Order: sequence, then structure tokens, then C-alpha cells
Amino acid sequence: MSYDTVIELRNLVRHYTMGDETVKALDGVDLDIGRGEYVSIVGPSGSGKTTLFNLIGGLDKPTQGNVFIDGVDISQLDAYELAWLRCRKIGYIFQSFNLIQVLTALENVALPTVFAGTPHEEGLKKAEKLLTSVGLGKRIHHRPGELSAGQQQRVAIARALANDPAIILADEPTGNLDLQTGQEIIDLLHGLNKAQGLTLVAATHDLKMIKASDRNVWMRDGKVERIERG
Amino acid sequence: MRGEKRMVYFTISDAVRLGIDYIKRRFQRTAINVASIGLANSFLTSLIMTDLFYATFNEYQGSSIGVDAYQYWLVAVALIVSVVGITNAMLISVYERYREIGTMKCIGALDQHILMLFLVEAIIQGAAGGIIGYFLGVVAAVLSSGFTTGFNIIFMVPIIELLGYLVGTTILSILLSIIASMYPAWRASKLPPVEALSYEL
Ligand SMILES: Nc1ncnc2c1ncn2[C@@H]1O[C@H](COP(=O)(O)OP(=O)(O)OP(=O)(O)O)[C@@H](O)[C@H]1O
Ligand SMILES: [Mg+2]
Repeated sequence: MSYDTVIELRNLVRHYTMGDETVKALDGVDLDIGRGEYVSIVGPSGSGKTTLFNLIGGLDKPTQGNVFIDGVDISQLDAYELAWLRCRKIGYIFQSFNLIQVLTALENVALPTVFAGTPHEEGLKKAEKLLTSVGLGKRIHHRPGELSAGQQQRVAIARALANDPAIILADEPTGNLDLQTGQEIIDLLHGLNKAQGLTLVAATHDLKMIKASDRNVWMRDGKVERIERG
Repeated sequence: MRGEKRMVYFTISDAVRLGIDYIKRRFQRTAINVASIGLANSFLTSLIMTDLFYATFNEYQGSSIGVDAYQYWLVAVALIVSVVGITNAMLISVYERYREIGTMKCIGALDQHILMLFLVEAIIQGAAGGIIGYFLGVVAAVLSSGFTTGFNIIFMVPIIELLGYLVGTTILSILLSIIASMYPAWRASKLPPVEALSYEL
């Protein structure tokens, strides 16, 4: 299969300095990810998966090297352009959901549309549609605390989709879920990837996720150890 | 990305809508801040009103009773205490919301949007505290000076003057609440998203 490249990582380095010690969280990563591809980032704890996730998503700045999204070096973006990228281009999914506790499911999903400048009513309609599509049509007025872990992750997925992003970044999206619920979330993400051509990059320990993906990138000590086709 | 309009939006009315959600659903902390401002303002208002009642009374009676100047020092202290208390409460509220701030930044919020959100809350609680405090202060002043001046004194003060003080002390309360919230709000807005997201309470 051939894809045009949507994410390019070039000699990506991220060091943390703590006192005299330097932790090489990422130590020179090169990787191309194609449009519509589903890539799993796999590796033992501390191998740099979350660090990589943060750098691709423009949430953190590399010590060295570059991240290109659609050919644009994101280190060159100003605060507005970076916010736009996070808002419109990328959808984030986290292990711990990171929903806003005081808002209902509907309001959580609609929030990214506010930053995208969508009229309020339209944003709410879109959010309702997305929640229905992830199977939560009857739960739209519940707050996160009133939903199960799996339902919360569905809300988070709907939120990630709110502005029709090109890329979904997920950091251990099944890490806090039981086997059955985890499988449902994987199927949901996989379905989105296949049906809508969303590029999906997921850091994971979960063998079920690895099986579903097009390519698996194995990390160790901040480096890419090997890449295998799924 | 080229050629598209790269903008993120967050209007005052969005901030107000979200701010009200926060206040409604985390009512306790807001209530404490409102009470703090309200008490300080009721103290201030009661002094101003007592002064006003005495002055009105003096006009009619040719007497010369008044409020001791040192009491205004006490009011100043009360206002400062209330500012410090609010700063403290707002800082705690920033810590509680670390993850949410990180999340907001992930979905497109700029630093100034976070700042706006906290300041809107500060304004709402300042206004609420100011208005509640004002009416408590007026009641207190009527009760305390009424024995000397007669309780109907309040009707002898021009209503426009009463309204003027309502507006004045409410604006003061809002300003104090904003001053108290500035540092916490600034801290919140500058949080790097990764740090905010990885914060465990
Ligand atoms: N803020 C930080 N300060 C210092 N060191 C850090 C920081 N964040 C990560 N590290 C270090 O960087 C390395 C990579 O961490 P990272 O979180 O990317 O691993 P991971 O592969 O996501 O692990 P896990 O599977 O446990 O989530 C680790 O050694 C970690 O201790
Ligand atoms: Mg991790």
C-alpha cells in the first residue's frame, strides 16, 4: 500500500535534564506516517511513547529535530497557528480521557467546535450526532462522573472528531479499560480509520490494538527498534 | 494548512457561558469567594451609609455626630484580607483545574482564552459579592444608626445617592476580585499543555 505522507519525523530528540542527569526520552527518531494509515507505537514503559505522542501533537517542543505535518514544520508555527493545528487538524485521545468534569458529554464534545468558530447551535448539533455515532445518543446530558470508563472514552473519541481532524493521536486509549470495553474502543477507532480515512497513531501496550494496525513501530530507549507490518 | 484561514475563536460570550457553568457546578468555592467579598463590602457600605445617615441627621437636627475615622482603616484591612483570601481560593481552583486547562489547550485554547475564562469568573463573583454586600451593609447601617437617627432616616437620603454607592462599591468589589485573581489566572494561562495534562491531583 502506498500513502502520501502526512506526518514526518526527522531526527527527533527530546532530552529531559534533571540536575546533572540527562534522560534521553527520545534519541533520534525518524518516521513517516501516511495519510489514512493506522500506526501503533509499541514499547516497554519508559521507551518514549508518550514523549513521541506529545511532540507529534505539538504539545511539547523537541530538543532537536523536526515534526512535519502536511509538509509544514510545526516548530515554525506561532501560537495561533499551533492552536489552530491542535484544534482543527489533530484529535487527541488520552488514557485517562481528560474530559471536563463540570460539562455534560454534549458540552464536552461541542467544546472544540467553539474554538473552531462554529456557531453554538450548530456545534451542539454536530456533538449530538457524534455522540450518537459512538453509541451514546441517550447519554448526551450526563456528566463524565455519571458515565462508565468505556463510555467516557467514547465521549473523548467523539470530542476528538468534533472538528473533522485529519489525524487522531491516541496515547494508550485502552489503558484504563477492561478487555471487553477495550476491544469495543479499538473497533470504534479502527472503524473510523477505515471508513473515514483518518490517520490513526496510537501508543499502546495492548496486543489487540497492535493486531488491528497497519504498521507497528517498536520503541526502546527513545529509539525506533524495528517497524513491522501488521 | 497553507491558504486556509488559521484562526481559533473564543468570544467573551463563550467565556461567560463556560464561566457560569463552572460557577454553577462548583458552587462551593465561588460561594466562599462571594461571601468574602460580600462581607468586606458590607463592612465598607455600612460605614459609608452610617456616615451618610449621620450627615443627613445633622442637617435636620443641627447636631454633629459622625463615624470615627479609624473605622475606615479597619475597612481597608478587611478589603485586603478579602483580596488575599480570594487569591488563595483562586490558586487552589487553578491547581484543581490543571488537567482541564491542559485539555482546553489541546483542543485549541490560547493562553489568553484561559486568562479570559478565569477573569470572567472573577468578575461574576466580584459583582455578586458586591451587590449582596451592599444590601447587607445598608441593613446593618440602618440597624446600628437607627436608634440615634430614627429608622426612617434611610428614606431621607436621596435614592440617587443610594444607587450611586451601590454602583460604586460593586465596581470596587469587581476590581478587587480581578486584582485577586490576576496572578492565579496568569499562572493558569501560562501552563504548558504537557505539564498540565500529566498533573496528578
Ligand atoms: N517531564 C519529564 N521529566 C523528566 N523525565 C521525563 C519526563 N517525561 C518523561 N520523562 C522520561 O522520559 C522517558 C520516556 O517517557 P515516556 O513517558 O515517553 O514513556 P512511555 O513509553 O510513554 O511509558 P509508559 O508506557 O509507561 O507510558 C522516561 O524515562 C521518563 O522517565
Ligand atoms: Mg506513556
